[in-house]
Amino acid sequence: MSLKTIKPIMRSAAWRISLWATLAFACGTMLVFVFLHRFVADDIQRRSDAWLSGEVEVLGDVAERTPKDALYGRVVGEVAELAGKEVPNKLPSEGGSNDSVFFLQTAANGSLKLWVGAGSGVPNLKAIQANRVVPDRPTDLHVQGFGVPFRVASMRIEDGSYIYLGLSERDELRVLRSLRLRFILIWLLIVLLGFGIVFFTTRRMLSHVRRITEAARGIGHSDLKTRVPTTQRNDEVAQLALTLNSMLDRIENSMHQLHTITDSLAHDLRSPLTAIRGKLEMSLSAATHGEQAEPIVSAIDELDRLTDFLNKSLDVAEAKADALRLNRSEVDLDELLKIMIDLYEPSMSEKGLQIRLQSDGPLKIEADAALIHRMIANLFDNELKHLPSACTVSLRLRVEDDAALLILEDDGPGFDSEVSLHLFERRVKGKDSDGHGLGLAFIDAVARAHGGTVAASNRGKGGAQIAVTLPLASSEHPASPVTT
Amino acid sequence: MKLLLVEDEIDIQSFLRSSLEEAGYQVDVAADGRTAERLAIENPHDILIVDLGLPDLDGISLILRLRQLGVRAPVLILSARRSVDDRVRGLEQGGDDYLTKPFALAELLARLRNLLKRNSPPGTEATRLRVLDLELDLLRREASRSGQLLQLTTQEFVLLEFLCRNAGRVVTRSMILDQVWGMRIQPDTNVVDVHIYRLRGKVDGKGQQPLIRTLRGVGYVLKDH
Repeated sequence: MSLKTIKPIMRSAAWRISLWATLAFACGTMLVFVFLHRFVADDIQRRSDAWLSGEVEVLGDVAERTPKDALYGRVVGEVAELAGKEVPNKLPSEGGSNDSVFFLQTAANGSLKLWVGAGSGVPNLKAIQANRVVPDRPTDLHVQGFGVPFRVASMRIEDGSYIYLGLSERDELRVLRSLRLRFILIWLLIVLLGFGIVFFTTRRMLSHVRRITEAARGIGHSDLKTRVPTTQRNDEVAQLALTLNSMLDRIENSMHQLHTITDSLAHDLRSPLTAIRGKLEMSLSAATHGEQAEPIVSAIDELDRLTDFLNKSLDVAEAKADALRLNRSEVDLDELLKIMIDLYEPSMSEKGLQIRLQSDGPLKIEADAALIHRMIANLFDNELKHLPSACTVSLRLRVEDDAALLILEDDGPGFDSEVSLHLFERRVKGKDSDGHGLGLAFIDAVARAHGGTVAASNRGKGGAQIAVTLPLASSEHPASPVTT
Repeated sequence: MKLLLVEDEIDIQSFLRSSLEEAGYQVDVAADGRTAERLAIENPHDILIVDLGLPDLDGISLILRLRQLGVRAPVLILSARRSVDDRVRGLEQGGDDYLTKPFALAELLARLRNLLKRNSPPGTEATRLRVLDLELDLLRREASRSGQLLQLTTQEFVLLEFLCRNAGRVVTRSMILDQVWGMRIQPDTNVVDVHIYRLRGKVDGKGQQPLIRTLRGVGYVLKDH
């Protein structure tokens, strides 16, 4: 796995959950082992102590009964040596001599009387005397020259001398060491295995969550038909998916209601408007004198303006609720702007205005052509209505940050400072404006419905600037080159 | 020309009926889907006008049903809805047309004519258009008046061609925007008027009979007599 794939894994929740779970698991098993180890060590100690106590009693018996003659040392020594060979699980020591057991008898004055075992026995005696070994209770004894301590049991016999039997703890420690080693190996193995299992199960579970997130992200402003994926199981993740889906159902429902309301409002207003307009037109064709025609003509004009206002208001209302319906197709902004300039240029030059376009060539976006047409027409209408003569409107079109950026600038008086804070709200307009105050709100609504933005500001040098961004068509995306 | 008008609003129905009859159509009227279906089958019509919001049946469903029943006449869809839905778009691609309410009568009539022309057997496409002493050469994209070549821009030529093709008939501003610039917008400024003024300046010279007339509140007409 490369570093690139590892990094996001280490940032994932699955990774963190498995780390903590594994830590808890490792601590738990370690604790269990510590108790187990202690139990085993105590048990081994108890067994060897029992053996030592038994042997030292036997040896004491032998030492008492054996006559104190020249053979005494040999008899007791041999018995002690035999006892040493009985030690269970004993490893043959290096050099063949028996260094795991020693037998020592001191005279009543404390001097070494009899010694069976490896070495001279002097350091053992010294250690015994320094440690004050008590009879009948085995104790640990560290002897100089031996790496491993001895377990020593002692007994006082009737003639006032003491006998000591020592058993090296070497074998006991060896058993415990191998026990620890095996445990560590097994412990590592199960901890790793546990980590793996926890990691992959949580990852699997969370991958459902990830799929839900991806699906939810794909559900955009106008696409409310899709749903997040659900699973057969009835766990928390499945319930999350179900909850999200029922929430989407409700949102889609209220969107639908909003559409129904705006549609029926539009319908209820448009039908009488149609009838009125038709009747006006008929009476216009019947009117012969100019004087009769004049009021009818202005009535028709007013009616058309009212219709346009109605359309824009409903569009803005729907867009504010993120519910504007789009019929997307590919639109070349560059071509559209050229056509629009062609359409508006005569009116502008009539008013003494200049319009210029600076573009990098064709720029395709995925958009509702009719809405984009109306949006651009709105921008141009605004300039045409509000700019004093001898001004210049300059348009710049380019791709920036994976989006189409259209900047419209003029060198006119700019926005009124009192309205510039609320430019995109409905019904906000300058003091001298005769419009409905819907222009910029409509532009903002259309841009937002397409997933774009609009920013309006006054330029430092004077004049207004409106910057519109619109997402590119998928085929224009530089990040996903077309391979055909 | 026989026309079937399917519209449930009595006001709209009555004014449409009289203006359509005035324009020379023989008009049958239906106020709901069932009547429309019966009338369409009883006697064939050359063209249909169908409103989308009918009391008993969705306009689109009615059109699709009529198509299944073998009605081939083109349909002009009237819609009071705000957005043009995909099914209307589909019908539009299938040769029908739509118009959103409210509309100018002139535009309705023009769209009807277009539909009828589109559905009639293709005649030989003219390469020259002639209206009084105005002459357009469609191949060379040149216009002349009384033999005098007019200096027109490409856009002005397209605009003049559109007026000539509709000579003697009223064209509205939104028709011009739709046909010449290819967009259904309603600018609240006089952009179309300025184009017409400029064209008129070139076509109607001094001492010549003015051809392009303005009908206030309605649109423009190119005189053909």
